[in-house]
Amino acid sequence: MDALALRDGIHQQWPFAPHFARVNGWRMHYVDEGAGDPVVLLHGNPTWGFLYRDFVAPLTEAGHRVIIPDMIGFGLSEKPTQENDHSLDGHIANLTALMRGLDLQRITLVCHDWGGPTGLGFAFSNSERVRALVLMSTWGWPLPPAEFHTRIFPWRMMHAPLIGPYLLGRHNALARRGVYLSVVDRARFVAGAMTAYEAVLPDPASRLLTWVWPRWIPMDDTARARDRFAWLERQLRACVLPALLVWGREDDVFDPAIFATRFKQLLPQAEGPHLVTGRHFLQEDSGPEIAARIVDFLRCVP
Amino acid sequence: MRLARVLAEDWLGHYPEFRDFFVRSFDLDRVGLARPGWLRAPSGAAYALIFIGRSGEPFPSGVEIHAVVPALEPLDEAQVDRDLWAILQWVVAGVGGVWTVEALQATGQLFRIAVAVQQSGD
Repeated sequence: MDALALRDGIHQQWPFAPHFARVNGWRMHYVDEGAGDPVVLLHGNPTWGFLYRDFVAPLTEAGHRVIIPDMIGFGLSEKPTQENDHSLDGHIANLTALMRGLDLQRITLVCHDWGGPTGLGFAFSNSERVRALVLMSTWGWPLPPAEFHTRIFPWRMMHAPLIGPYLLGRHNALARRGVYLSVVDRARFVAGAMTAYEAVLPDPASRLLTWVWPRWIPMDDTARARDRFAWLERQLRACVLPALLVWGREDDVFDPAIFATRFKQLLPQAEGPHLVTGRHFLQEDSGPEIAARIVDFLRCVP
Repeated sequence: MRLARVLAEDWLGHYPEFRDFFVRSFDLDRVGLARPGWLRAPSGAAYALIFIGRSGEPFPSGVEIHAVVPALEPLDEAQVDRDLWAILQWVVAGVGGVWTVEALQATGQLFRIAVAVQQSGD
């Protein structure tokens, strides 16, 4: 999917000039707007930078440079077609390549979903470049995952061998129905946003990461990413960065009572958690409100 | 006739019981890569299962499902989709344990997969 192929309705909401960088051999798309200390907005599965469309104007008007990368495998970035092309460490390295390539300093990282483990992985291995953290509906520890992630129906069945490629590949079930089920105002989502998430994943092969990321959530001590998540948790305990926690009040995947509370325990200096209207994709329901929260938060960060 | 790839799985070992099912069903410890596995879907159409080996991983590491179609004819994609759903039901039933056809059916319905919704109304 080329940026020029985005439909008119999407362009109206996403008028930003496309930029591309080569990271670890892959072509990464990102938006780069405004000037000032950078705020880097990181999406997760199965979204792309479009998730942050309501954040760009408030942040740039407040004097920030806004960088929104599309994770390799999503959005307008290159989409590898083999499962082994994806790993948590590889995605952290992709982000690191972009941040170093742009030589960003005093970064505020805004992390959602898999943007959490990847963003935190970058932050803790490049701490001299990072100014603050904003965390939303994500996690950064090995076990246990949310109760939701332990269930056969629908989570484990959804990405099981062959079933993942069928449901999420052939039928684009996560970008189509999955996101729809994880917003509060579904009518508004259908009218204004759903097409943008579907359009950038046009073919089964382009949707690979939608069922690969679920397979990287540690479920037991043998999980591939267990050691990386254990490292993230140790780093979180030692982290003294200013932080802001924003969570969807209706989030039934990363329940704020469990996940936001856990982050608050690990990062006692964090502001919040601030609860806003939203399920897992809280930016869809409360984008301007969250952006205003971030602007206010950054006014107080040295 | 030609083989048309209609579904591919890179990592059967994500849940090893799925790999074990294919090993049992197609005698793969003995057959290895010598020949595909063959299936006939309820529609009567034939499918070839091409197993994939990858150095350092238990065999098979992956599997591709190929429709067997007349050489110059296009796929009947709706039929292929129904056949694949039937094949997935067969796989899940064979894997067993916590994996049930009822859970697969419920997952398909949740995501509004046409064949699953249709079956729920049958």
